[in-house]
Amino acid sequence: MSELQAVAPRRRINFGFDKFSGLYVWALLILIFSLWIPDLFLQTSTFKQILTFQAISAIVALGLIMPVAAGAFDLTIAGTLTVSVCFTAWALTSGYGVVVAAGGSILIGVVIGLANSLVVVKLRVNSFIGTLGMSSILIAIAYMITDSSQIVLSTSGYAPFFEFARVEMFGLPRSVYFAALIALVFWWILEYTPGGRYLYAVGGNPVASRLAGVRVGRVTMIAFVASGATSAFGGIVYLATIGTATPDSGSGYLLPAFSAVFLGATQIRPGRVNVPGTLVAIFLLATGVTGLQLAGAPSYVTQLFNGAALIVAVALAARTIRRQS
Amino acid sequence: MTSAMTSALSVRNASKIFGAQIALDAVSIEVAPGEVRALVGQNGCGKSTLIKILAGFHVPEPGMEAFVGGEPLELGDPVASEASGLRFVHQDLGLVGNLDTVDNLALGQGYITNVTKTISWRKERAKAREALAALGYDINVSMPVAGLQMSERTAVAIARAMSEQGTPSKMLILDEPTANLPGPEAQRLYQLVRRVADSGVAVLFVSHHFDEVFEMAESVTVLRDGKLIATRPVAGLSEEQLIELVVGRKLEEHDKGEAANREHGTEILQLMGVSGRNVSGMDLTVHQGEVVGVAGITGSGREEVAALVFGGHGRAGEISVNGKILPQNRPDISIERGVALVPAERHANASLLDQTLRENITLVDPGRHMSLGFLRRNPEKADVRVWLDRLSVKPSGQTEYTMTQLSGGNQQKVILARWLRQEPVVLILDEPTQGVDVGAKADIHTLVDEAAAQGAAVLVCSTDHEELVRICDRVVIMRRGRAAEILRGEKITAENITAATIGRDTAEPAA
Repeated sequence: MSELQAVAPRRRINFGFDKFSGLYVWALLILIFSLWIPDLFLQTSTFKQILTFQAISAIVALGLIMPVAAGAFDLTIAGTLTVSVCFTAWALTSGYGVVVAAGGSILIGVVIGLANSLVVVKLRVNSFIGTLGMSSILIAIAYMITDSSQIVLSTSGYAPFFEFARVEMFGLPRSVYFAALIALVFWWILEYTPGGRYLYAVGGNPVASRLAGVRVGRVTMIAFVASGATSAFGGIVYLATIGTATPDSGSGYLLPAFSAVFLGATQIRPGRVNVPGTLVAIFLLATGVTGLQLAGAPSYVTQLFNGAALIVAVALAARTIRRQS
Repeated sequence: MTSAMTSALSVRNASKIFGAQIALDAVSIEVAPGEVRALVGQNGCGKSTLIKILAGFHVPEPGMEAFVGGEPLELGDPVASEASGLRFVHQDLGLVGNLDTVDNLALGQGYITNVTKTISWRKERAKAREALAALGYDINVSMPVAGLQMSERTAVAIARAMSEQGTPSKMLILDEPTANLPGPEAQRLYQLVRRVADSGVAVLFVSHHFDEVFEMAESVTVLRDGKLIATRPVAGLSEEQLIELVVGRKLEEHDKGEAANREHGTEILQLMGVSGRNVSGMDLTVHQGEVVGVAGITGSGREEVAALVFGGHGRAGEISVNGKILPQNRPDISIERGVALVPAERHANASLLDQTLRENITLVDPGRHMSLGFLRRNPEKADVRVWLDRLSVKPSGQTEYTMTQLSGGNQQKVILARWLRQEPVVLILDEPTQGVDVGAKADIHTLVDEAAAQGAAVLVCSTDHEELVRICDRVVIMRRGRAAEILRGEKITAENITAATIGRDTAEPAA
């Protein structure tokens, strides 16, 4: 091969379609709904609703970024959220304080992450299969905790707990700020610390990473633990927002998280999963779904939209990678 | 069975031209039934071209004639080649690892079924056992072949080739049958080949390994630069004579003296009784500022040495750097102790292909430019740019290019930059110029010189013998997992290295 084969830098005007297409699409969606259903869509309440409803999805998706960056699937995120919701509700109704309930819940998330990494790293089970199995176990645990029914927290009885997520600052509930804080921390880790480099390196080529001194097993473990703890935290926020725990509380959070993370991988830093891209994807999807619902679409449009988005996202991501090489 | 008078294989005037290059030049060869013939020569001598013509994959130049058992062979047709009674077993054997022997044999010839088209497993197993027993092997035919020993797998592949339906087998052609076999297993294979030959089938095997030529073959045909050099009976042929025929000139006696390194500094890297999958009981010392080469044919252990020293593979024995023991399977600790590895196959083992040159280079210590909790991108870029310039990576100064945007030679330089930036105490290079163009190759050699001049102990494992001549103070020759011989000073020539790698294990292992 000759030196000349190296690709010369492309000189052309860059509108950022390659990196910021999501932002353009998002703006387009807002424009469309503003013209279509201005009375319903162009309300402060609509945007507040999108932000509030998506805070939990965002937290779960942000957690998922870590293992996916390291090249592992974590299908336990929804199950972890469910167990966390059920455990917290059970602890509160059993008379434990908020600190014990929430702290215990986070601890459970950490343990789930450790269990996942045991299965994937030590037992060498493919992460997709391993965490699929784990998530079924988690659902069983949720049924055990709730005794196969639901636990309802009365608003009056658990006011201090509800404040945790519902108190508003500048017109937005705390849950939105939690999501923002987690996003900020994860963004810092991934972009500005050696840990982030190791995560992406392991995701890129575990063999090469190992031979460059990266502790691949340890990095994968930390990614799973981060994901587990984050999903568990998402569960606490969920309970404090919704107030009811059932063994299928988390079922709606798996697919949107994957859609957001993979769609996010086509944005901002094309070709790799990243925090700002994931946030753009979440709010892009939420805006589309909310707009359609306001325009009178049936409720199943959410599932339809998220499923289609996941497929489109992965196809786009594959295309981005092909283009780079 | 053919009469003893008729040759099992008779090839006349086989030629093949690829573009401007004559790969095979009017080669003729006769093999008698039951004869075991070795086909030897250096890389590119035309061995594989001849085999591929016989297999029907290449169409030869006009004028060639071939007869199998006296019958003319239709050239350029794999089906005709098969039908004529030629049987091929390639180096990779072509077995499906997770299927058992019964299934692997059936892949060649179909299953025995009863009236309802159900597979008759009892009959299949009996048939498979019989086929292997004929070769002197008694193995569990219901076990996945991946779990069998190497020589047993070779036996399965041979059994499959020999039991192909239709015409009887007249000739078995093996491509480097013992390339990956450790000593005792090679012995089993020799017996197998003997059995095949005793049944009247001729055997032609390609080999880089003089051990098996002398142990297995009755006669040997030597090719060099596409030409037939000689066909000789093995009896009465000495190793030196055979090497001379292969290499084309007389070789000087190899230096087998003990280690004495006058010009070099203190001992840095020490291997004591190191063993791995192919390597067994290897001792070696590399001094400060010394460049030691490791040569050997595939299967000799050469390909494993770099990973063993670095701790990429599990191993037995001790390795120390400056007197400190390196734990196995802990590349991170090896790196801490100042060991660097530029592995073979850079795409699989060294590159983050979709990531930037910057990220690839700083992967070993990404935290170097961290302050107040943040990685500082600009100092990092400046740092990386210095290294890209020092190794003259083209296009220059593009720290944000991804690896995929560079040519092979430049990718290799980036990997080298990653490690030179660590100022290694021990630099291990495995096939450092594999798939690298001539210019980059010269640059890489200069960089190795410089690293040694700055006091690094350098270990270079390479199949490129010219490369070893260019950069090494000492070359260790690996044979059958051992450091069998050492070449120094003027004795380091490409011919000597080649001859030594394919030589027989006469000397005691040298350290």
